[in-house]
Amino acid sequence: MSLLSGQRAWLLQRVTAIYAGLYVFLAIAVLLARPPADHGAWVALVTHPVVWLATVAFILLMLLHAWIGLRDVIIDYVRPVSVRLTALVAVAVAFLLLGFWALWILIEAALT
Amino acid sequence: MEFSIYRFNPDTDSAPYMQSFTLPDDQVEPGMMLLDALLLLKEQDDSLGFRRSCQHGVCGSDGMNVNGTNGLACIMPLANLKAPVVLRPFPGMPVIRDLIVDMDNFYRQYREAEPWLINDSPEPEVERLQSPEDRDRLDGLYECILCGCCSASCPSYWWNPDRFLGPAALLQAARFIEDSRDQATEHRLERLDDAYRLYRCHGIMNCTQVCPKGLNPSKAIGDIRRTMIKRSV
Repeated sequence: MSLLSGQRAWLLQRVTAIYAGLYVFLAIAVLLARPPADHGAWVALVTHPVVWLATVAFILLMLLHAWIGLRDVIIDYVRPVSVRLTALVAVAVAFLLLGFWALWILIEAALT
Repeated sequence: MEFSIYRFNPDTDSAPYMQSFTLPDDQVEPGMMLLDALLLLKEQDDSLGFRRSCQHGVCGSDGMNVNGTNGLACIMPLANLKAPVVLRPFPGMPVIRDLIVDMDNFYRQYREAEPWLINDSPEPEVERLQSPEDRDRLDGLYECILCGCCSASCPSYWWNPDRFLGPAALLQAARFIEDSRDQATEHRLERLDDAYRLYRCHGIMNCTQVCPKGLNPSKAIGDIRRTMIKRSV
C-alpha cells in the first residue's frame, strides 16, 4: 500500500469527511446555542483547549480531504504530464499556505 | 423506420459522418430486434460495417451505442427504440470502421485482472470442490460476456483507459477474489491497490445501468474495496 493512494486515500477521504461533518454540525449547534457576544467571547471560545484542538484537527483533516479529492479530479481529467504536475504542485502549495495561515491564526489566538 | 448511423471508413473518408437509412414499414416485424433491422439495412448498403455472431446475447460481439446508451443490438427490441434510431460505435474506443471498434485495450485490461484460477496446491484427481454456498458467491460475477458495454460507458475508463482497468475487468477481478478455490487473493488485492487500477472508479454506475446481462460491476467493485479494508484492519 502506497503512502497516500489507492485504498488508504479512499478510506482517509471518507474518515476525514465524517470528522469534518461532525465538526461543522457541532460548531453550528454551539454557535446557535451560545453565540459569542463580543471579540473577547470569540477568543475565549476558540482558545478553549477542546475547541482549539478540534479546530486544528479540522483544518488539517479538511486539507487532507480536499487534497485527495482535488488530486483525484486532476488525475482524472488532466492528462499531459507537465500540466498535471503543475496543477498538483499549485494545489499542494496553495493548501500548505492555507494550512499554515489557518494554524498561525489559531496559534496567535491561543498566545494572546 | 428511420435510422441515423455513424459511418467511417479510414481508407476513403477524411472524417466520420452520420448516414440516414430507412427501413420500410413492411419489413418491420413484431418482436424484431435491432440487429435484425441492421442486417436488413446492410442489404441496402453492404458497406455498412458492424460485428455480430450468435444473435442471442451470448457472444457479446454486437455492442454499440444506441440512442445514447450502450447495449447489444441482438437483444434490443426495435419496438422499444425511439426513431430515428441513432447508432454509433462505443464511445471512447478507437473506431476501426463504422460501428466496429478496436477492443485491444479492453482485452489488455481484462488480462491485467488475471482472470484465471491461481491455485498451486496439487491437483486433485477429479476436481476442486466448492460448497454450494461458496459457489453461490460467484453468481452475478461469472456471467459476463465481455461485450464491453460497461467499460465503454464509464467516464473514468474514457479518461484513463490505459491505467484504469474498467468495470468489465474489475468484475472479473472480483470473480476470482470471491472464488474459494483461488489462493492468490492477497496478490490480487495488492495489485489493485494503487491510484489507477481500481480507484479511478467513482461510483458513477453507468456500468450497472447498461449491462445487457443485468450484472452489477459497481457492486462488485464495492465488494473488492470492502474485502481490501477487511484484510487491512
